[in-house]
Order: sequence, then structure tokens, then C-alpha cells
Amino acid sequence: MRGATSAKWVVGAVIVAMSATACGGGDNKADGGSAGGTFRFGITEPTAIDPVNAQESEGIVIARALFTGLYDTSTDGKLIPKLAESGTPSDDGKTWTFKIKAGTKFTNGEPVDAESFVRGWTRVSAKASASDVSYHMADIAGYEDLHSGKSDKFAGLTAVDATTLKVELSIPDFEFVKKTAHSVFSPVPKVAGAGDNKAFNDQPIGNGAFKMTSPWQHNTSITLVRNDDYGLQKAHLAKVEAKILNPANGSTLEYQGFQSGQFDYARMPTPQLTAAKAKYDPQGEWISGDFSGINYLNIFNQNAPFNNADARKAISYAIDREAIVKGVFQGLQKPASAFLPPSFADVYQAGVCTSCVKQDVAKAKEYAEKGGLKPGTVVNFGYNTGAGHEEWVQAVAQQLKDVLGLDVKLDGKPFKEALATQQDKATSGLWRQAWTADYPTADNFMTPLLSTTGIGEDPATGKAQGDNRGRYSNPEFDKLLVTAKATKDDAARAALYKQAEKLAVDTDQGVIPLWQRTQYRLVNSKKFKDIKMDFYEDPTLAEISLK
Amino acid sequence: MGRYVIRRLGQMVVVLFGATVVLFCCLFVLPGDPVGSLGGDKARDPAVVEQLRERYGLNDPLPVQYGNFVKNLAQGDLGEDFTQRRPVTEILQPKLVNTAELAITAIVIDIVIGLLAGLVAALFRYSFWDVLITLLTTMAVGFPSFVIGMVLQKAFVVELPWFPLISDGTVNSLILPAFTLAILDAALVARLMRGTMLEVLRADYVKTAIAKGLPRRTVLFKHVMRNSIIPVVTYLGISFGTLLGGALITEAIFNWDGIGLALVQAVQQQNNPIIIGVVSFGVAVFVLLNLIVDLLYAVLDPRIRLA
Repeated sequence: MRGATSAKWVVGAVIVAMSATACGGGDNKADGGSAGGTFRFGITEPTAIDPVNAQESEGIVIARALFTGLYDTSTDGKLIPKLAESGTPSDDGKTWTFKIKAGTKFTNGEPVDAESFVRGWTRVSAKASASDVSYHMADIAGYEDLHSGKSDKFAGLTAVDATTLKVELSIPDFEFVKKTAHSVFSPVPKVAGAGDNKAFNDQPIGNGAFKMTSPWQHNTSITLVRNDDYGLQKAHLAKVEAKILNPANGSTLEYQGFQSGQFDYARMPTPQLTAAKAKYDPQGEWISGDFSGINYLNIFNQNAPFNNADARKAISYAIDREAIVKGVFQGLQKPASAFLPPSFADVYQAGVCTSCVKQDVAKAKEYAEKGGLKPGTVVNFGYNTGAGHEEWVQAVAQQLKDVLGLDVKLDGKPFKEALATQQDKATSGLWRQAWTADYPTADNFMTPLLSTTGIGEDPATGKAQGDNRGRYSNPEFDKLLVTAKATKDDAARAALYKQAEKLAVDTDQGVIPLWQRTQYRLVNSKKFKDIKMDFYEDPTLAEISLK
Repeated sequence: MGRYVIRRLGQMVVVLFGATVVLFCCLFVLPGDPVGSLGGDKARDPAVVEQLRERYGLNDPLPVQYGNFVKNLAQGDLGEDFTQRRPVTEILQPKLVNTAELAITAIVIDIVIGLLAGLVAALFRYSFWDVLITLLTTMAVGFPSFVIGMVLQKAFVVELPWFPLISDGTVNSLILPAFTLAILDAALVARLMRGTMLEVLRADYVKTAIAKGLPRRTVLFKHVMRNSIIPVVTYLGISFGTLLGGALITEAIFNWDGIGLALVQAVQQQNNPIIIGVVSFGVAVFVLLNLIVDLLYAVLDPRIRLA
């Protein structure tokens, strides 16, 4: 008897709840009524939103809304001054002097002055912070001492007066200014404390267009409200809600959230792109952009069978990029014929990788012959699983089998395991890799990915600790990079970078570019205007406004 | 009974010890450095890697690491996770609450729908309702839960916006995931209940009870239900344990921040402190639930003596 009663009660409750939702459902669309509106989108749980360790695009979008640094960067790599009135290098390129806009404040009222930049950068590089992004400051004098704990001062940084910041570098770098667009170079107020100050980590107090009035709800949401005391052009939106989605299903949830009107901005799962474009492009709710990144094959340069440029070129010639772009990516990616992205207009050279331009079976076979790449040669081809690479990786493998008769062994591994294999000195063959820029400099591609220092070989274990895990190494190339960095004239420097790319990517074929980085989003342009993607592929929160 | 419980709890400590030792050994032999890389393709600065290895004692030999783990565990400290560097207890606590919330709702739905359907099917054997229930339970068992979840989501979130896509902490957000999770178990419970009830209905003591002229209701609830429910309780105990271990697929589809997803993500990232925390919790829950089920037997069937 008792059982039956409670069963009735539960069923009753379910029905009540269902009817309650039926009424409540409509509210979702109506809550933009307040002045400025609420912009809603989905992200995955960031590692950090405090500039001290914000690193992936999800963390950076929040950090950059909360903090404003010296410069910002446009999607095509141009610098946009923010708090910097000027940034001037010395003649030797080793000292940079920044003039900072006077009179702006953090949201707690502390002034944003040169000292606050010194404080922020020191906080990032201090040993106790163990920051994953502090390496961006590695060229500033005194970094080593601070990072190893020998000192608690950043020797290369001086607040000359309230509005003058002097930065001394340990090597000449005429492009250092571009690095400062990254959120890691943000100023912080005194209350920030050390890098592991949990209260500040979860609710940073910044000087950006938005602020947080409640701490980060881990795995649930992050809410930003407009900073009405912002020292620069104020934001239009009253509120930004970033719902935190699980990475296993994130893009699907974003897409469904957009379809059901619960998100104003969304990524889509790759297989849905074509359908989404067909539906939303005509309504003006589809945006796309080419970004500063590259998808490529790492080719292990120091081990057979790819320890000579001819064998590497054979692989590149054998791949039909056009066919894969059409067949696998439904035309939504663009084949790459250079390593540097087209967004870096001053250094971009379409077709610099001769072997990338078009599949050429005859040339592939000719180079294979020259490079000792006989049919039947075993080639390991690694990729990380669970990221949707399976289909195109198989297509590339099939082409290599068909054109060169290679015995391609696909080797999918979960992420950490994949990395360990790539780092191993004995690894040979190919590996899928992608890179997106941290700031708009050619150096940000070439030094980590192609230079000898980028290998970072651990003398004890032989492990490649850097990002150049294909271990391309050419002293002539290394020298070109150093010279380029130390060249003051923009055009002359660009010419050197072009020469360097030609050497590494064409002559030596140190890596094999595959496709460029193109991104697509759905945006609620019925309600908002000026929703665009920024350099970091995040929505331009500070510019969006209600229609 | 008291001694029995204490003995079983003692066994739990042994099981936990065994499980964590096995887990530590497994994690140790995994290739790759748990703090060796960032989320993307980028390698971590070697100096930072070294700092983190030191901070988390990863350079110590395995027995020392295990000793430290036990020492901290005794103080309720599961350490710090490797990505966000927050205390594991702080990270897992809301997830455990979420998982429990979902599991309890699902098990309640299981019990209500499953028992009711089983009861009806057995009492009105070969009737329209019996055939319908058999059909529906077959379908429920046949469909994978991700299909059910995605169909429910497409229908009641995207097409008919009745439910929020992302949990907003209300009962509304609980309904779809709980149903998705409960459907399979409810079907199994219904079938189990039907089978055992039919058997009990044929038993001599039921015939006797009816012959004695006891009211139908008394026969049903006092004699039939009570005797047919034991296998169902066993099944529900195990099922509840599984649910408390986290329901990966349902959690992913409905963005339910539970421990199932946390575990999978932690395994992918080799975020060992989270793995150890979730698995230890899962083992403890399983052992405890089994104990409760065994104790329930004695309550339901006085012939069963625990010693």
C-alpha cells in the first residue's frame, strides 16, 4: 500500500515538473531585456583564467576580458595599441621602452601603472607560480634567476616612472612588442599576491572591459559583467555568461545550445559543418575565418627512412591535399602550401613549399628513388586519438600506400602517450601535428617548431623536450632566425624570415604542411551585431552589442 | 549482526588497500609523464616539469609515493590535481554530489517503474499490458543509452525547448538525464520482477494463503511481493553501485558534471590524483552497498541469518 502511494506521488511530481518546464522554457529567450544584453556561449573548463597561467583559448578569452595589456592583435596579425602609447626599441634591439596611458585603474581602484606591469610579469615568472606560460618571457633579462628561485626580482624590468616601463632583453628582439599582446603580459594589482593565490585565481581583479562579481563556478559557469570604469573604449554588453561544457561532448552541446536558442555563439562538430552551413549561412548566422595556425606532418628528420630531404619530399609530393580537403573536410579546410599562415601578410609566401602545391606522382616516385624510400618500407604514422583525426590520417596513409607502395603503420595513441613517443629519440616516421600562434610573429612558428633550440634535447635521456619533435636541425636556418630577430628594419626582417622558411620547408622539407587553420562559428546575429572571432579564435566580447 | 558488520567493514579496508596498490602500480607503468605536457600539442617547459615533479613527489620511488598517499588519505587529503592544481577533495566533492543526485533519482525511477511494470505484467499474464511491457522492455534493453539520451535531448531540448540544455540546478535539468539512465535498469527490474513473481505465485504457501481466504491485497503484499523482491534488491544494489561510479555517457550528453566524466578525462590526461580519488571512492561505495544489500536480505527474509 505504502509503495503504491509513493509511486503515485513521484509520478505526480514528474508531471508537475514537466508542466512547469513547459511554461518556463520561453523565458530563455526573453532574458536579454536588460540594458546591453547578456551574451551566452559555451567553453570547456579552462586550466586557469588568471593571466598567471591562462593558456588555452577557453582560459584566454576570460583573461583577456578581465585584463587589458599594452597591445592587442587583430586576426591578421596587426598590433592594436591598448594601454601602450608607444613602444620603442633601442638601436641594438635589446631594450624596449613602453609609454603607458596614465590614469586608468583596476576595478578595485588601484592605479594601472608601470609598476603593475612589473608586478604582473614578475608574478608569472616566479618559481612558485610554476607557470606554463612564463616561457613567453624567457628572453627578458633576469628570467633565469627569477624562474629558478635564485632571485625574487625581475632584473630586466624597470618602472622608470608611473608611465614608463623599461624592458631589457638578454638577446636582441625587434619583435618583442608583438609578444606583449598575449594575456600573460597583463598588469596585476597588489591584491593579486603570489601566483598561487587561490582567491585571485578564481576571481581575478583586473583592468579589462569586464569584471567578475562572483568567483568562477568550476565546471559550471563563469559570469562577466561590464566594467563601467574601464579606462578605454567601454564594452556594450551588460553581461557575458560562459557555461562550462564537458570536453567529451563540448562542440555538440554548443551546437545544440545554439539551435535551441540557449547560446549566442557556437562551434559545431565537424560532421555537422555542412548541414549547419546550409541552414545558417543564408540567415547570416555563420561566420568563418582563417587563423594563424597550421596543420602539418612532423617527419622525424634524424632517423631512417626520413633522414634525407629527398625521402621527405617524396612523402609531400605523394599527398593529394585537394582530394582530402574535398573528400574528408567537405571543402571546409584549405590546403597549405606554406608553413607560415596567410594572416602574417608580411612574411607569407604562397607555394613556398614546392612539393605541397599539387600532388605529383611522378616526382614522388623520383624523389623516393633518390632518397632510398623503397616500396614496402615500413613507415610509422602516429596521431593522437579521440580528437577526430582518424579519417584524414587514414586518407593520407592510403595515398602513401597507393603512390609509393609504403607499408604505412597507423599508430593512434592517447594524448600523453603520443607525446612520450614523439619525444623519444628512436621514433621514426610521421606524426600529425598542429600549431596555433601565441602572438603574430614568424618567430613564434619557426623557433619552437624548426630551430635546434626548439628540440630541447635532454642530454640525459635524449628526449626532445621542446616542440620541434621532428628534430629538424640546420645551423644555417638557426642563424637566419637569430639575425632576423635582431634586424630592425621590418622589410629586411621579413625577407630573412622568408628566406628561412624557404630553406626549412622547401629545400630541406623539415616538415610537411597539410592545411591551413580555418574556423567556423555560428553567431546570433539576429540579436547582436559585431560578433567576430579574435586572434585567439574567441568571440570579440568587448565589441559585441545588441542590435 | 554487529560483529558481522564490523567484519565486513574490516574486509573493506583490505579491499581498498588492494585496489589502491593495484591502481598505483598500473599508473606507474603507464607510458608518458603525467606532468610532461600541456593540453594542446605543446610540450611543457622542462624547468616547470621538474618543479611540478618535485612538488607532487613524482621523483620518489613508488612505495614512498604510496606511503605518502596513505598518510595523506588518513587525514582526508587526496592531494592536488595536476592540471588546475586545486585540492582533489575540492574538485570531487561537487561531482560526487551531482553523481549521487542523478543516481538516486535514477534508482527511484527504476524502482517505481520497474516494480510496477513487473507487478502488472505478472498479475495479468499474457494480457495486453503484459505483452506491451515485454515489448517495451525489450526495446529499452536493445537501445544503447546514448541513442536514448540523444533522442530525448533532440526532442525535448532542441525541438521542444522544455528542458534546459545545461543544468541550471533545478529539478528540470535532472529529469532527462535521470530517465536516460533509468530506462535500461527499469526494464531489467521489470523483467526480473515478472519472472520471480510468476514463480512465487505458483508456490504452495501462496496457494495456502489464498485458500485460507486471506484478502488478495494481503497475499500480494505480504507473501508474494516480499518473497519475489530479493533478487530485485540484489540487482538494484549492484546497479546503484554502478550508477554511483558515474554514468559516463549520460553525463557527457547532458553535460552532467559527475565523476564518470571526471574519471575518463583524468585517465586521458593522466591526472593521477583524480583517478585515485574516484576509484577509491567507487570501491568503497561498492563494498558498502553490498553490505547494505546483505543486511536487507535478513530484513526481507527472516530465514536468512547473518553471521
